[in-house]
Amino acid sequence: MSITNDILKGVRILAFTTGYAGPYAGRLLANYGAEVIKIESKKGGLDTFRHYGQHKDIDAAPRFIECNLGVRSMAVNLKHPTGARLVREVAGKSDAILQNFRPRVLDKLGLSDDELRKSNPKLVIVKLPGFGTEGPKSSYGTWGFNLTAFSGMTYLWNHPEQDRPIGSQGVYPDHLGFVMGPTLMVAALLNSRRTGRGVTIDLAQIEGTAYTLGTTYLETSVNGDETPPKGNHYAVAAPHGCYRCQGDDRWCVISARDETEWRAFCRVIGKPSLADDARFVNLSARLNNRAELDAIVQQWTGTRTAEEVMIKLQSAGVAAGVVQTGADLLKDPQLRHRNYFASFADSLIGPFEIPRSGILFRGMTDGPLRLPNRFGADNEQILGELLGYDKATIEQWRQEEILT
Amino acid sequence: MGGFCGKLLRDLGMDVIKVEPPAGDTTRREAPFAKGQVHPEGSLRFAYLNAGKRGITLNIANPDGQKLLVDLVARSDIVLEDFAPGYLSAHNLGYEILVERNPKLILVSLTGFGQDGPYAQFATPDIVGNAMGGLLYISGDPQMTPCNPPETQSYYYASLFASYGAMLALWQRETRGIGAWIDASIQASMALHEHVAFNYSAEGRVMKRAGSQHQHNAPANLFQCKNGWIALFVTQNHWPILLKVWDDHDPALDDPKWINSNLRRQNADYINAQVTSFTSRFLKEDLAELMQENGIPGLPVNSPSDFMKDPHIQARGFFAEVTHPILGTFAQPSSPFMIDGKRGAPMLAPLLGQHNQDVFCGELGLSTKELAALVAKGII
Repeated sequence: MSITNDILKGVRILAFTTGYAGPYAGRLLANYGAEVIKIESKKGGLDTFRHYGQHKDIDAAPRFIECNLGVRSMAVNLKHPTGARLVREVAGKSDAILQNFRPRVLDKLGLSDDELRKSNPKLVIVKLPGFGTEGPKSSYGTWGFNLTAFSGMTYLWNHPEQDRPIGSQGVYPDHLGFVMGPTLMVAALLNSRRTGRGVTIDLAQIEGTAYTLGTTYLETSVNGDETPPKGNHYAVAAPHGCYRCQGDDRWCVISARDETEWRAFCRVIGKPSLADDARFVNLSARLNNRAELDAIVQQWTGTRTAEEVMIKLQSAGVAAGVVQTGADLLKDPQLRHRNYFASFADSLIGPFEIPRSGILFRGMTDGPLRLPNRFGADNEQILGELLGYDKATIEQWRQEEILT
Repeated sequence: MGGFCGKLLRDLGMDVIKVEPPAGDTTRREAPFAKGQVHPEGSLRFAYLNAGKRGITLNIANPDGQKLLVDLVARSDIVLEDFAPGYLSAHNLGYEILVERNPKLILVSLTGFGQDGPYAQFATPDIVGNAMGGLLYISGDPQMTPCNPPETQSYYYASLFASYGAMLALWQRETRGIGAWIDASIQASMALHEHVAFNYSAEGRVMKRAGSQHQHNAPANLFQCKNGWIALFVTQNHWPILLKVWDDHDPALDDPKWINSNLRRQNADYINAQVTSFTSRFLKEDLAELMQENGIPGLPVNSPSDFMKDPHIQARGFFAEVTHPILGTFAQPSSPFMIDGKRGAPMLAPLLGQHNQDVFCGELGLSTKELAALVAKGII
């Protein structure tokens, strides 16, 4: 019998989030049982991902669904003084605030840290602003994409021989923020439980990104020269790289890190004598003759499937991995073994499967993720049961367009 | 693999003791080295990943070493390890044995693919993590070989998940009084990136390499400036603003049909060429400022040293000057978060065995003589 992993059950979090990093952070907290209430308004405060794609229904944007699984929804106009007051009241009954708005947006709405904490000194506040709350560029608009550029990561994410930057279409900094944010939040919740005092955590996404490039900055600082992109090269392994395989745009990565792996590699490709070839006899020789070595590797991989290359090499103790596509991931036996995908048979966008999390707790199963609640679906429960307002009052607020 | 997890936990204020074999962690032998000189204290990767940790040496393949390790585990809250699955059990240090000495122990295991399953024993250098997790396939120019991200991002990223697991487990111990064993997987950590799996499952769409060109929008790419490049991402709302700032644009772009991001994306070659004729008149920093003044989120493509010199980053005190006995004085990134406006003080990585005396004598009660004997035997 396995226990459901709902470690954060009983923790209530208010989320002022939009886009990718903030919402996904909320989703990862909900993944472990936290009650995450997302606050939005049609009066200029909708998550931008609700408009992503061509859907008219604001609950049916695939990106929004993906990033807000398990999250409840409260619709309230923060620009109306009553709306802001109601949010302060919910904050009074919550454990934490999660937000990735630009700095001072909430302050101007009467929802500054002090206001929110007035009746609840234990309240934890975690902010994920792009450039941080303070500093000359803190008001700058950022996306994961341009934070990657600003940090130096785009420049570094390239093959060394290129004369122009290539980088990535993706938003790696968002991914960093949405795991670090929940990590910091749980740390702060523990601290708050022990000390009775909630702290405010300011995680600048640009610094979260730079945190993953520390070795490069040290190299720049200690050795005093610009650090060039390294592409698929690695100073302590050869062969090391990404090699074309049989099929359309199919690839396998291979890395032989020591003499044992190098010898095993030569045996697998049917050229055991290559191991003692003067050009490749030790790591520095192999690094110096990398082009010749890569050509030999490529010759072998080119007539085999990526899967065959991986299995043959890994069975012999040599690191290798298929360069997997989205289609490959969905049928990956290892991910299936981990029960990695949460499955939704029915939703506004049809059936789909979606990754859960990078971690498992042994002996526990991740709980079932829910689809995001529809916009405003939790107003009555929150205002009625949690705050104790009667139906007539709630109805009046609705008519005054405070709850929209 | 897990060094970055220990780093984050240290930056959260924990006392992290790095246990190295007597010959030193393999990272100590990894480039880049200070001034290019191979030296056990000269690896910059080691220096960065282990800043602030205490360091001890211990041969855990030896029974006496194992006994000391279990004594240390009994006094610890968390054990973080990244051995191949089964390694600890084979050395009399499996979860069951550790938990006997410390019933509320939190064991965090970080591996390429997880503790069991068909690929559990696969060797996983960073590039394998990125490949099998799906990030590598969509990274790079479509005409070129997929390009691995810089440093070892799959290790770092899985380390963040491992840290989250550690905090969740501490919360569980606090509220329910039980320990946990966390199974962090590099592949599973990477496979949720960039909607790769979701796009295929929900829409049947296989994402491909596209350089820095965004899937659904244009201009959303890197654009040439006089002295480098700028990253621009212009949404439906920003498009009219861009045209206003760029007052001599081709009047054909005023056609209201171009408001639609999808149409601009479908004609990305045309739109990007037009936008380049504008961006190439500016220095990247000046253009970024002009864009930001007008509410368009543009930022320059910086080199690492550009970033380190940026006035905003400088003003925030992200880099702190530290002095290390071997590496000298240099700028080191601090923790990336502030708690109530305060950042942690800068710290240094331990020299090999620097805290042996502290830990083995000060905490485990060995005499100086006993410590010397274990050092002589190669156990410490």
